[in-house]
Amino acid sequence: MAAPRGGYFGKILEIDLSKQTAKTRLLTDEECRKYIGGAGMGANLITSKYKAGHDPLAEDSYIFIGVGPLNGTYCVSTRTSFVNMSPYTGLLSHAEVGAHFGNEIKWAGWDGILITGRSKKPVYLFIKDDKVQFRDAKNVWGKDTEEADELMKQEVGDLYARTAVIGPAGENEVPIACVIIERFRAAARTSTGAVMGNKKLKGIAVRGTKAVPVADNKKFYPAAVAAKKLAVEKEAWQGIKRWGTTGLLELKHWVSGSLITKNFQTTWYPDIEYIGAEEANRRFWKRHVACNHCPVHCMKYGVIREGKHAGLIAEGPEYETGGLLGSNLGLSDFAGMMALIEACDAYGLDAISTGGILGFTTECIEKGVLKPADLDGIKPQWGEADPYYELIKKMAYKDGKAGKLLSMGVKKMSEKIGKGSDAWAVHVKGKEIAAHDPRGDKGRAYSYAMGTCGGDHHEGTNPATIARWAMLNSMVMCSFVAGYPLAKETPGVFTAMLNPLCGWNMSDDEYWTTAKRIITLERCFQVREGISAKDDVLPKRLTTEKLPAGPKKDAVFTAEDTKKIHDETYSYFGWDKNGIPTDQTLKTLGIEYLIDDVREARKKL
Amino acid sequence: MEKEQKKIPDVMQAETTRRGFLKGAAAAAGGAVALAAVGPAVPKVAKAAEPAENPMYRYLFAERQNCTGCRACEYACSVYHYGVVRPSVAKVHVYKHKSVVDVPVICWHCDDAPCIAACPTTPLAIQKDPKTNGIILNEKICLGAKCLKCVEACPALFIRVNPDTGQPLMCDLCGGDPECVKACLAQSGNPQGPCLMANKLGFGVNQAYRNVTPEEAGEDLLELLFYPNKTGERR
Ligand code: SF4
Ligand code: SF4
Ligand code: SF4
Repeated sequence: MAAPRGGYFGKILEIDLSKQTAKTRLLTDEECRKYIGGAGMGANLITSKYKAGHDPLAEDSYIFIGVGPLNGTYCVSTRTSFVNMSPYTGLLSHAEVGAHFGNEIKWAGWDGILITGRSKKPVYLFIKDDKVQFRDAKNVWGKDTEEADELMKQEVGDLYARTAVIGPAGENEVPIACVIIERFRAAARTSTGAVMGNKKLKGIAVRGTKAVPVADNKKFYPAAVAAKKLAVEKEAWQGIKRWGTTGLLELKHWVSGSLITKNFQTTWYPDIEYIGAEEANRRFWKRHVACNHCPVHCMKYGVIREGKHAGLIAEGPEYETGGLLGSNLGLSDFAGMMALIEACDAYGLDAISTGGILGFTTECIEKGVLKPADLDGIKPQWGEADPYYELIKKMAYKDGKAGKLLSMGVKKMSEKIGKGSDAWAVHVKGKEIAAHDPRGDKGRAYSYAMGTCGGDHHEGTNPATIARWAMLNSMVMCSFVAGYPLAKETPGVFTAMLNPLCGWNMSDDEYWTTAKRIITLERCFQVREGISAKDDVLPKRLTTEKLPAGPKKDAVFTAEDTKKIHDETYSYFGWDKNGIPTDQTLKTLGIEYLIDDVREARKKL
Repeated sequence: MEKEQKKIPDVMQAETTRRGFLKGAAAAAGGAVALAAVGPAVPKVAKAAEPAENPMYRYLFAERQNCTGCRACEYACSVYHYGVVRPSVAKVHVYKHKSVVDVPVICWHCDDAPCIAACPTTPLAIQKDPKTNGIILNEKICLGAKCLKCVEACPALFIRVNPDTGQPLMCDLCGGDPECVKACLAQSGNPQGPCLMANKLGFGVNQAYRNVTPEEAGEDLLELLFYPNKTGERR
């Protein structure tokens, strides 16, 4: 039970909001090596604490905010992972997010923060190295994420602190509420905002002054320099550097045929020229912004020039936000689209789910199964930004009929509305999917259907990348630097850093076993909650309606396609035909503690 | 400009790597705890001799609107001086203003050096290296937390305090070959080009840049780049 030698401080900060206490939980080297950090560490902490059917909003529910061994070291582009059981889907979910928040946690001397309990009054935390303050949030509660970020920094008297906050959507426990990091980065898709709102935790400000221990700096530093050099030299990131992910809007329309359009009716959207990267560059962007030690600076900030939102500073459009809140809503009004994106950031709403819900609602109106009267008189219409803006505001506050209905999300809305609306209800495991139509880009189906969280676009495009991404999410590194550009160098480039950093001798085999352990562990949680092969599927529209136009005209996600992704994934990870990890697999991976739970669940599935 | 860029070596060159890590290897071996005990490394004299004939690096300059806020400069500075990544002891630091703009806060190596003028000790605890123009701190003489007159005197609010020693973090220009400049160049390649530069002799000592606090510089950048709509209802 040795303490870690490097890469970790060997400490997790345990916060109990009910008792307003902060404690230290020590980590062993074995635990670190088995689950790495971030998503993997969080999955283990939470899975081992919960029994099947845990209420994700119970007072004793957990949020884990994790970093990995590489955070805070010379390694490029490290991030933060938020892990919790999502009250939206009832499943274990993790969100990785950029900016500098995670590295400040690390420099403060922590490998993660595990939050539980529920405060009586709204609070926020200020963590400065070993010191933790529970601060009265009376001035910050009710504020949007922009104001909350600034106010918290002012109140704690440290403008160099970095923040994670929820907006009004989180305070109102809207199930699609996210956490906003430093004003423009979203940890979304996990409902963490709603859980924080339920715990009356407005946010966290953190500042660290320490250095991460390194077991063998003589070897580690050159390896980290080499990894950075490799990533920088790859051409893969040049496009992202120049155009952010925005450039993909045009690409996925013209080339991949996977740009979602009007609630997945097509992927052919010539109007993309009015809302894509070139337009943004010509009329909106003002600066490139990078996360920690990242040479890619994929974030682009700009200011709206005209119309009623003139003067509004916003970030994007990114591929997902521009897809979901642009082409998905049939918009060609750039300023209007940016205002919607900014509103999601400001209110703390998951922009992907928000776009999915608005698209679904519009089609309900189009097909006559919803009337404007059901939406407080608002009539959403493809291409009209204003009604969407009103609806976003209502969702954030669960205001009126529209706010209450829309904040339920596509799955529950379609169950409530009925009238065949499930034909165009696009979600996986109860969560709206991202901006890549898997009919045009079949690899995405792995991420949507086979990934841990359901409906996410960022969990790999085949079984091997699911494994790769699991490691990135646990080392908490960015895929634009460590994923796509370093694909061929994986895992050598990472073990070359991890081993001297942590004092390990991890082989390639162990690297992949660790990846499989993390994915299988997460799967066990979901299986316990009733997930099996039947749920690893894409929605009806994508499996029955052919794409009507564009480079992938007539493509559809067939039953054979579904069978293929099931067979490949289940066998790669050692799960049975029903997608349930076998006893043998759990033993091999060293997570025997879940065998009983999984056996129990298997009986019902 | 082209000439200047060529002269700035790639930050990832083997030589830099070795130098950077060798310096702090001893301190880093035992991790953070050992680091605190060892304290800052003494500026290297060995290397300082070379750039002496080369007047290239006498001042730093920050093209503020080009900064992406990546903090590679903080990384490089702390690695060079202490052998580990530790932004809290980096001399250069990046202030994010209202989470919209980033202001790299640097030492301008002022000819009138108000920091040195304010230093009460004899001999002076902070002095300019006549060869490099970098400011060298003599830790034995510096009164540290009891004094910090230099911190008050710097119009740029550049000087921060070392959390371990209580002494000011002065920019020594790395013995004449600024690490932050090389790191920024390696990071940049953005359409605007790098933010940190050396040998910006300018006209005088960039006083208009120096005489603003990081917050004021942030407000200026915000105005310059985003001209926010101060009166309109934003949302
Ligand atoms: S006053 Fe400030 S900017 Fe000028 S030389 Fe001293 S530390 Fe540098
Ligand atoms: S010139 Fe050297 S000492 Fe000065 S801020 Fe840059 S890296 Fe640090
Ligand atoms: S390295 Fe350059 S771009 Fe990056 S934060 Fe420093 S000054 Fe800004």
